[in-house]
Amino acid sequence: MLTKRQNLLETIRGGNPDRFVNQWEAFGLVSGDPIAAKSPRPLKGQEIVNSWGVTIRFPENTPGPFPVHDYEHKVIKDITKWKETVKAPSLDAPTEAWDAIKAQAAAVDRNEKFLAMTIAPGIFEQVHYLMGMDDTLLNFYEEPEAMHELIDFITDWKIEYSKLLVKHIKPEVIIHHDDWGSQINSFLSPEMFAEFIVPAFKKLYGFYKANGVQLIVHHSDSYGANLVPYMIEMGIDIWQGAMTANNIPKLIKKYGGQISFMGDINNGVVDVSDWTPELIAREVERACRSCGKLYFIPNTTMGGPMSTYPGVYEAVSAEIDRMNKILF
Amino acid sequence: MSKIDEIKAGVAAGKTKVVPGLVQEALNEGLQATAILEAMVEAMGVVGDKFSSGEIFVPEMLVAGKAMQKGVEVLKPVLASAGSVSLGKCIIGTVAGDLHDIGKNLVALMIGSAGFDVIDLGVDVPKEKFIETIKANPDVKVVACSALLTTTMPAMKETVEAIKSSGLIGFKVLVGGAPITPEFASSIGADAYARDAGGAAVKAKELV
Repeated sequence: MLTKRQNLLETIRGGNPDRFVNQWEAFGLVSGDPIAAKSPRPLKGQEIVNSWGVTIRFPENTPGPFPVHDYEHKVIKDITKWKETVKAPSLDAPTEAWDAIKAQAAAVDRNEKFLAMTIAPGIFEQVHYLMGMDDTLLNFYEEPEAMHELIDFITDWKIEYSKLLVKHIKPEVIIHHDDWGSQINSFLSPEMFAEFIVPAFKKLYGFYKANGVQLIVHHSDSYGANLVPYMIEMGIDIWQGAMTANNIPKLIKKYGGQISFMGDINNGVVDVSDWTPELIAREVERACRSCGKLYFIPNTTMGGPMSTYPGVYEAVSAEIDRMNKILF
Repeated sequence: MSKIDEIKAGVAAGKTKVVPGLVQEALNEGLQATAILEAMVEAMGVVGDKFSSGEIFVPEMLVAGKAMQKGVEVLKPVLASAGSVSLGKCIIGTVAGDLHDIGKNLVALMIGSAGFDVIDLGVDVPKEKFIETIKANPDVKVVACSALLTTTMPAMKETVEAIKSSGLIGFKVLVGGAPITPEFASSIGADAYARDAGGAAVKAKELV
């Protein structure tokens, strides 16, 4: 029997996996580095201002925190003056501040799992966290030079941060969050995406790949089928959060071998207050049967091993185990 | 190309700096303000259809909306003296507990472009705020509620139920958002459902 790590590599390299990779099982996730700690995630009901100056609120009864973008709370009110208001978080931290996460990393069984780190928000998200979505999307048209500058600034900061991660933790997998679309389409046209977003990620993911990171897992729980060629160009190995609307079987047929797809079990469908084991069984079976054994990891579309409603993530895992017995 | 066609093309292409000048030139040439406004509404309708079909994306829609707004600013003084051409008021907001704004903003943009006076309550709007605003605007024609999360669908249900049981009348309730289906809209007593911003504008016009 292959280890979870081996089984993942067989799956994404078109080899001979002996079962489905069960959601996030192959990733030994570590978290809590001192730079990320400067932007703590608010707890339910809380509001915080993170180290970029962005106000983040976590309302009751929502799956996660969200930036606040009324006029008073926007960090960037005028993109042409972004340099006056955007201050990147300090990357200073004493060496011993890295000890806790280093200990977590040392505890990961590398035979069984990849040492993995999740990083959020991504580059596009960081831009709209600073000024709101409407201003962001309009500014691609109206102030493209300033937007290029800001994206370069964020990307360069992320690379400096990545140097610290590589130095102290040596992650094997980077799971990077950046939502690029709604449920029905990408936010940006492929042409605009290619101009503004692709170069930044090529630089960032290129850095990781050149510094010991074996796999890039990119989370975007949205429509993005039209962006897959760019994902490949960026160096993404696994697109996580790939929603059913993308027609994953078709994408696997077209791009399998160049990129793999993790998802096809929409949280909007299964992670609901009145979920049932029957509903989850139906969705998992549909995904596993239609997507097949290679270049596909059955998974809910949430960006980590969790669910909004208790029991959903575990129920999905149990159904994937059931499908393993049937299909392998 | 006629001036009207130039304006339509300018709006559709999001020429925010060009459209106001074109509108002024059209007025100077003696064209009726209402005819110019109708042309821009028509152009935005085409933009909405292209968005619905996936031909254009959110930035193109936003920039077209902004171009139209710039044109309307030139028309406003003339329209004010000629009497209102509004289809009526539309109150819009994302329901309580939900901070998502882009979908709601697009709907507000398209409904505004279709000829409604939009009262945008923003995000995380309690049901009491919707009702209070309806009371303050007894001539409102459409109340539009958005929810982007499965976890805030109950808040949408409570909002629609509260509006419907408030005794206030004379308007229709339109709902939408990623997890919302026509069946859900119907089950909570909404008068109409729209899948996206372009569809919301079409539906709002049908409702009045």
